Amino acid sequence: MTSLVSAQGVTKQFGSFTAVDNVSFEIEAGKILGLIGPNGAGKTTLLKALLGLTDCEGKLSVMGLDPFRQRKKLMQNICFIADVAVLPRWIRVTQLLDYVQAVHPNFSRKRAEELLLQTKIKANSKVKELSKGMVTQLHLSIIMSIDAKLLVLDEPTLGLDIIFRKEFYANLLNDYFDEERTILVTTHQVEEIENLLTDIMFINDGKILLNSPMEALADNYVEVAASGEKANLARQFGPIAEGQMFGKSIMLFEGVSREHFEGLGDMRTPSVADLFVAKVKGARK
Amino acid sequence: MINHQLALLKREIWEHRSIFVTPAAIASIVTLGVLAMLVFASGFAAELDAAIFGAQNLAGDPERKAALTAFFLGTSWVFIIALAILTVFYCLDSLYAERKDKSILFWRSLPVTDAETVVSKLITAIIVIPAATVIGIVATHLINLIIVSIWVWMKGGDGGMLIWGSVSLFDNWLAAFIVVIAIGIWMSPFIGWFLLVSAYTKRSPLLMAFMPLILIGLLEGIILRTHVFAENVLGRGDGIPLFHTGNIEQFFEDEQWRLADNATSLLVHLDVVQFLTSPATWAGILVCGLLSTGAIYVRRFRDES
Repeated sequence: MTSLVSAQGVTKQFGSFTAVDNVSFEIEAGKILGLIGPNGAGKTTLLKALLGLTDCEGKLSVMGLDPFRQRKKLMQNICFIADVAVLPRWIRVTQLLDYVQAVHPNFSRKRAEELLLQTKIKANSKVKELSKGMVTQLHLSIIMSIDAKLLVLDEPTLGLDIIFRKEFYANLLNDYFDEERTILVTTHQVEEIENLLTDIMFINDGKILLNSPMEALADNYVEVAASGEKANLARQFGPIAEGQMFGKSIMLFEGVSREHFEGLGDMRTPSVADLFVAKVKGARK
Repeated sequence: MINHQLALLKREIWEHRSIFVTPAAIASIVTLGVLAMLVFASGFAAELDAAIFGAQNLAGDPERKAALTAFFLGTSWVFIIALAILTVFYCLDSLYAERKDKSILFWRSLPVTDAETVVSKLITAIIVIPAATVIGIVATHLINLIIVSIWVWMKGGDGGMLIWGSVSLFDNWLAAFIVVIAIGIWMSPFIGWFLLVSAYTKRSPLLMAFMPLILIGLLEGIILRTHVFAENVLGRGDGIPLFHTGNIEQFFEDEQWRLADNATSLLVHLDVVQFLTSPATWAGILVCGLLSTGAIYVRRFRDES
């Protein structure tokens, strides 16, 4: 496995505010990585640094390129959707395809037209005549017709209804993703994507709280529901978070083997959302 | 590189359709005005016959020539003013609107550099809009001369001799082309300035573009009691060194001046060599280059979050 993205000590400051604080990580090719963090955690700044839209301190390499200084070359192999509303409103669908075809060496117009045929989008429509969901479909059709090694999606489904969101991710997995490609996605609706991620990264206050393959979560984290004396026994192992539900204590443990909790209560792997909340709250203490 | 530039220029025309709609609209208005005038003149049959008869017997009449030239330059001037205003708004919008609607994030997600993008805006302002202006001028001229000569023939006159025989059309069209392109080059420091403001300002680009210029002119007048800035920057348009004698105002408006050296074509008044060798022309191009580079720099390095 080769690293597609390599970050070492990446820091980005805006005045006295540190948006990204000495972050190091690697992203291997063929992964679908979810970058999860609350608002203002530094997600967007980190993505912008990866996309060469902002300069940063530290060592950052994307496909062996310096994203800020070799942006044009980088953009031939990266695609990104920054937000659903970024397609210019005045442009027609055909004009958009003409333009991308002219400037992008890896764009397949045929594929884009095939994908658009599956939607209700008409070739001569202007973007401003399309619904929000259709604009996303249009953008995604273009992105999926570009043969890129890395796809970066920043809140791609914001403001869309559940049907579009489901379709969006289904299309992404079925029509786009393969072993050659890597996807980096940020979203607030983490429950919707946790099943399709191969890796997950939590970020808060500019720092990485968790960076793990999804299948390793079950080994490292366990949620135990126990009551009374059993709950007290479980609590000795130092839960990183604890809550009450239906009269039971729900405790989340990190790095504690499941055999310690045999017979104390129900065990399960915590959801990404619960784990995220626990990690962020823990970091704030 | 060239393919990118063509795609970018096409993009500009798609977005700013007014670049071609404006000349087409002016051409239509002028043509309607001429048609209305002909309908009105047709009401005076006796006077018309006398006028056509009189005109035909004055071969090479300088007044007829002057009238046709005045019509040509008058309509050209309307085009130039309208497209100059269009250029100001185009430039101020060109790097501002994409930030306002956030489409800049889409444009920048494609493998096109900021320099290529800004250059395409510069080419649009200095070449594409002037070209549209000249096309508008020539088309208007041609359509109306055809209409008027047909009308003269219908009234029994010799339209060919009266309308087409006395002016050197191609010379005048070439003169219009040179003047329009030269104005674009001469005023290019303003184009660079507008692009920079458009790339930089967070709000009201029109105000941000003109307020500093007016303020500097005023302050210089009040504090230093000189008018160097006002004369050389704000009044730059008047000083275009494209004419043997006189200035751009006389070229377009002063019939006596135009007739003074018994010029057979408008080209006689133009001095392209003087324009191209004037240090002021090159100083303007340099300032335009610096300001446009500033616009590229701002688009490239500013964080849009």
